[in-house]
Amino acid sequence: MSVSYLFLEIAVVLSGLGLLLVDLWTPAEHKRGLGYMAAGAAALILAFSFSKIVDPGVSVAAFGGSFTQDALALFFKRFFLLAAVLILLMEVEFSDRITAGITEYYALTLFALAGMMVAASVNDFALLFVSLELMAVTFYVLTSFQRTRLGSLEAGVKYLILGAVSSAILVYGIALIYGSAGTMNFTKIADKAELLKESKIAVFGFLLVLVGLGFKVAVVPMQIWAPDVYQGAPTPTSAFLAVGSKAAGFALLLRVLHGAAPELLLSWERLLMILSGLTILYGSLCAIPQRNLKRLLGYSSIANAGYLFLGISAGTVAGVSAILYYLAGYLFAVVAAFFVICIVSKANDSEDISEFAGLSKHSPFLASVLALSMVSLAGVPPMAGFFGKFLLLKSAAEQAVSYPGYYVLLGVAIIGVVISLYYYFEVVRAIYWSPGSQDRRVIILSKPAKLALWTCAAGMVLVGVFPNLVARATDAAAAALKF
Amino acid sequence: MMRAGLEHYLVVSFLLFSLGLLGVVARRNLLVVYMSLELMLNAANLALVAMSRFNGNLDGQVLVFFIITVAAAEVAVGLALIVALYRRRQSAHVEDLASLKL
Repeated sequence: MSVSYLFLEIAVVLSGLGLLLVDLWTPAEHKRGLGYMAAGAAALILAFSFSKIVDPGVSVAAFGGSFTQDALALFFKRFFLLAAVLILLMEVEFSDRITAGITEYYALTLFALAGMMVAASVNDFALLFVSLELMAVTFYVLTSFQRTRLGSLEAGVKYLILGAVSSAILVYGIALIYGSAGTMNFTKIADKAELLKESKIAVFGFLLVLVGLGFKVAVVPMQIWAPDVYQGAPTPTSAFLAVGSKAAGFALLLRVLHGAAPELLLSWERLLMILSGLTILYGSLCAIPQRNLKRLLGYSSIANAGYLFLGISAGTVAGVSAILYYLAGYLFAVVAAFFVICIVSKANDSEDISEFAGLSKHSPFLASVLALSMVSLAGVPPMAGFFGKFLLLKSAAEQAVSYPGYYVLLGVAIIGVVISLYYYFEVVRAIYWSPGSQDRRVIILSKPAKLALWTCAAGMVLVGVFPNLVARATDAAAAALKF
Repeated sequence: MMRAGLEHYLVVSFLLFSLGLLGVVARRNLLVVYMSLELMLNAANLALVAMSRFNGNLDGQVLVFFIITVAAAEVAVGLALIVALYRRRQSAHVEDLASLKL
């Protein structure tokens, strides 16, 4: 039955609604703990995603072909659920900085999660729009949730204006594609690919859709919002934007490019390569002078979008598999970094790198997790980030035989990696070798926070040390697409 | 008398879309910026309805309903943000959104 493939999304939405209902009978001093309930529910749904009811084992089209459940969709859904569990635990640590409505904050996180999970299965432009907007509108609220802090409000307004412009462009693109293809279904559009390639209106439409989705993943020239929003938003929201929203954008890009426009993907190779190179350079160069760690991670997330675009422009099974592998390592590294920022910045509400000076003296565990995450993001072996970057570069290098322009792109990517070593190790230097102020209180970690940090640390190391385990899953997921 | 064809609708919708984009870029008041955003979305709606009519199926019109709903949700969030911002800054101008910088 079709609806059984939607069980995961329905369960996520119902737990969000249930949370709001439970909130009515919960005394104010216990509301903080509802976050553990939400994280538990997401963890249960993650376990349920391995059952036969939702995982058919083959590629299935449901709801009139607008929804696909295949290995790729399930890979992304598990990815989003795992990210949400860790981020909900982070939100509990953050809860004392949210003046009112902490339960709504948890519930909105679950609703955004539902949007991302639907996005993983999209096979129709109408569903693409709805899932994207479910994500976007909840993120506008989540970004500006600290409504007494000016930075948070400003980030919210900027994200809303730029986000709405990009969704208007996306919708206009959908209208043009629909006008020339006569349908919104990806499979049916792909059947008419030969015809559409000749139609300038359809090609222009796909270009506008690329702009709309490029905004989500923060690729140049649609990256302007990322640093401001990452810096201003509440820390758990920045983390969810960096991991969830970006991965959902890539899921949609893969679905559109491979599902609806396989012909265009080939003719756009050069465009995608230029975007990738520019994004890597912009993110890496602008990150150098940053002093605010969240803003630095905003620029780092732009650079990472550039690396992930390497896999998109390669357009092969190896490229897509490398994207998924890279995202798996990126999830643990980014969540770990934001988790430590969230805990350390509790005392004086500042995320300046100087706040982290001498962190290794008074809380060695937090210091080592943050250092591990920086090392993984920089791509030092044997961490997850190294193998991710290696696989992405390898997938691009394989294409260089047929198109030498890839050598230039590979050069740019390697320059980007070298620059990124500098700014990531600046953070590590501050943690270990800068004298910090002496009057620091010892930071006491709660048990769930410790669990989440250990999970991230283990994830970063294991994904890097045992690449075969993860690569088997990502290869199977990537094979679900058409090439 | 000339009948309006698909291209007429598309030209009007393109003009509306460009006007909206121009408004978002050029206007300084947040309320006017939101109005321009609505104009952009409605330009897309017009294009979708026209395409739907000339394609002879209703998929486009269904999407228009979703877009109208989403636009309403977006504006609800946006106006709430303006109110919260006005309480802090006594202003709803784009120039006053400059605290997040390098």
